[in-house]
Amino acid sequence: MGSKQQFEQMVRAFSAELYRFAYWLCRDRFVAEDLLQETFARAWKAWQDLREPASVKAWLIAILRNEHLRRFSRKQLSIVDGEPDESEIPSVPSSASRLEMEQLVGLLPLSYREPLLLQALGGFSCGEIASMLGTTEGAVMTRLTRARQALRGELQASGKRKSA
Amino acid sequence: MMNCLEFRRLKLADPRRLPEEARSHANGCAGCLAFARSMDESEAALERALAVAVPEGLADRILLRQSGQRRAGWKALALAASIVLAVAAGVIAMNWDDDSGNQARLAIEHVLDEPQSLTTRYNADPERFAEIVRELGGSVREPIGSVRYIKRCPVEQGSGWHVVFETPQGLATLILVPDRPITTASTASLGRWTARVEPIRGGYYALVTDSAESNSAANKLIKQRIGWQT
Repeated sequence: MGSKQQFEQMVRAFSAELYRFAYWLCRDRFVAEDLLQETFARAWKAWQDLREPASVKAWLIAILRNEHLRRFSRKQLSIVDGEPDESEIPSVPSSASRLEMEQLVGLLPLSYREPLLLQALGGFSCGEIASMLGTTEGAVMTRLTRARQALRGELQASGKRKSA
Repeated sequence: MMNCLEFRRLKLADPRRLPEEARSHANGCAGCLAFARSMDESEAALERALAVAVPEGLADRILLRQSGQRRAGWKALALAASIVLAVAAGVIAMNWDDDSGNQARLAIEHVLDEPQSLTTRYNADPERFAEIVRELGGSVREPIGSVRYIKRCPVEQGSGWHVVFETPQGLATLILVPDRPITTASTASLGRWTARVEPIRGGYYALVTDSAESNSAANKLIKQRIGWQT
């Protein structure tokens, strides 16, 4: 693809978003910055080969995910996709604090957290996330549903404990 | 025809991309409308939580590392230093020039500039160390000791690895610099600190310890236990 100037524009355009994604993957600010440095180093090496400028964000996220997996593959959790039980959908207390939400997001298994980050931070659709994660759109919808159910369930339980 | 269960399934999976049919359903269903409003609130809370602060100067540091391939001399050090001073994270920049004696001296300065590397454990993973060595064309035949600190540091010509490990003589710092070939080994001392620079394939390593004796012993250990292609 492009020139050094375009690469610099890309770094400035996406570094903040990618940093947040990296941080929520690893939950460590130092490691997140390391991941980001490595991501852009690899991106620079392959910059001339990038054929689809429109999908540069997805391309960067793919590099970042690969780097994260390479470093932390032993910590990955496996999950089994299935139909979530939607018979009990708790409502979220409006008083949920940001800190509480941060803690809960951090507690989500990576397999749920990652598609949630790609959607809430990256703005990707279920179909796009499925393509990035190498799974089906249905599996992504299941994980996202479970992630949000888990967050809402925990927040509701926390709200009840506070009011008790 | 959409039912309440299907609406909630779609809303939970992607709250901001509801199809028209789902929106129509919510407009005619008080329960689903309330659910949608509740979901929108929790989604907003989620997005606020995810928006963690981004370190100041992050993009500049990334670009500095990339531009390190193209810049030379003290200009890059000055830029690096200004950025480093500006951020609390305190990433320490290294500047290396063509003189291997200077590289040894600057390696000592780098260790002195990053004192926390000798007092904290960070990424203390021996497998990660072995992986880094492999990336540099070497192989770890035997563990060199307990690795207690691994950090990537920006350098003028790209980036290097800052590794601290324990030896029988005390802590030793190994700075691995790829893509910066040198031809001769060298040694430098500063105060009680000694640094030894040795060429490896495409770059070099600098070994820093707090005495000439411990440096010699640690370097012997490295040569015995790590195979380097030169």
